Amino acid sequence: MNPRFWRWVVPSLGLVLGLALGLVYSWVINPVQLINTYPGLLRSDYRHDWIRLAALSYVADDDLGKAQARLASIESDDIIPALETLIEDFAVVGHTAETMRKLTTLAKSLGANTPAMFVYAPTARDTPTTQPTVASTQSATPTPMPTTTPSPSPMPTNTPPTPTQKPQVTATSEITYQSVIPSPSLTISPTNTPSLPTATPTPILTFQMVEKEQICDFATSPPHIEVLVQDEDEEPLDGIQIWLIWDDGADRAITGLKPDLGSGYADFQMDSDLTYGLGVGELGQLLVTRLRPEPCPDQDADTPPIGSWRIVFQLGLVQTE
Amino acid sequence: MKRNVLLNSMITLAVGLAIGITIGWVLWPVEYTNTPPQLLRQDYRDDYVIMVAETYSVEQDLGLAADRLDLIAPGEPQRPVIELANRLIDAGENTAVLTALAELARDLGVDNEAIRLHLGEAE
Repeated sequence: MNPRFWRWVVPSLGLVLGLALGLVYSWVINPVQLINTYPGLLRSDYRHDWIRLAALSYVADDDLGKAQARLASIESDDIIPALETLIEDFAVVGHTAETMRKLTTLAKSLGANTPAMFVYAPTARDTPTTQPTVASTQSATPTPMPTTTPSPSPMPTNTPPTPTQKPQVTATSEITYQSVIPSPSLTISPTNTPSLPTATPTPILTFQMVEKEQICDFATSPPHIEVLVQDEDEEPLDGIQIWLIWDDGADRAITGLKPDLGSGYADFQMDSDLTYGLGVGELGQLLVTRLRPEPCPDQDADTPPIGSWRIVFQLGLVQTE
Repeated sequence: MKRNVLLNSMITLAVGLAIGITIGWVLWPVEYTNTPPQLLRQDYRDDYVIMVAETYSVEQDLGLAADRLDLIAPGEPQRPVIELANRLIDAGENTAVLTALAELARDLGVDNEAIRLHLGEAE
């Protein structure tokens, strides 16, 4: 055999073989052992549980800084969906308002945004036009007000209480939408600016039923009531209260808590013995009455199965009071 | 000639082995991304136990709390709670955290004087 073969090829093969053996040993047989990991390296399900634990610990200890520090090593792409899921699960199950408010505060501080949060954090949808600050009010276009000078609030303010302080209360869908969010802190007037004149119109949303349809898809049993709420352009509207009323009770749902079914969607289970009414919005405007479970027509069975109902409400005229 | 070749082969095999191990342990070590809570650094493990205790005070789900603790102390979920509580007592730490730990320990079946003391149940 060629002497060059022995001189170069065989040692080269030895090098390659040694390299391969070294890699097998260090990657497979005896890899680096990690014993001091951090939450960001946890397996996905453990990581989500860590997020849940951090959030619920915040509910218990009310220490926002600590909760944020506990989540600091985890990607926000992981945190936000987990918090949104937690809040929506808790909203559906029904936890105390204080718990929901704290979860919402934490989620909001981390950039989460889900329909269930609107109920407990009314400022979640606030835009700069609805939160006039000192700077924004100074630059606001003067808007003559036909009423009296606003009375200054007890809080000190850097700007004189002139009529130009009026926030941008326009007929945009953003602000009118907020008027249905059920919270006392939804007043558009910030606390550190003069209060609004009492004659300022308060937008009130009105809805109308545009569709009532019986659903005979029995895969979705038991019988239930599906509610879809739309705006004027037939776009789904989330965060709207729906009231289900019957003889001796009532239940409430908020649209958008089941995002996979649409942001304007809410539903209720139906009891076959009861007759229901449906109310919409902050005022519980009763739009449907005598809604009761009814057998589906055109069924061959002697006792045709009970169908569900799909009710569609659409935003109507914005009234003021 | 053959002896030299054999020697060279052995040397290059050893060099290759050294390079391979250096690559596998130092340059591109195995990356762990799906670790269990048991491998968390001690301070994170302590935080985990505190969070489990505080969450238990909100959820009141003892089975879930025990399952979570089982991840860092298989078979003896009360152990990390007791150990951490003892360390916090020694360090004079936050009583709210201690109370949460004591409640969880008690509900996990631990019964000792320190627990009762922190729960205001001492005789």
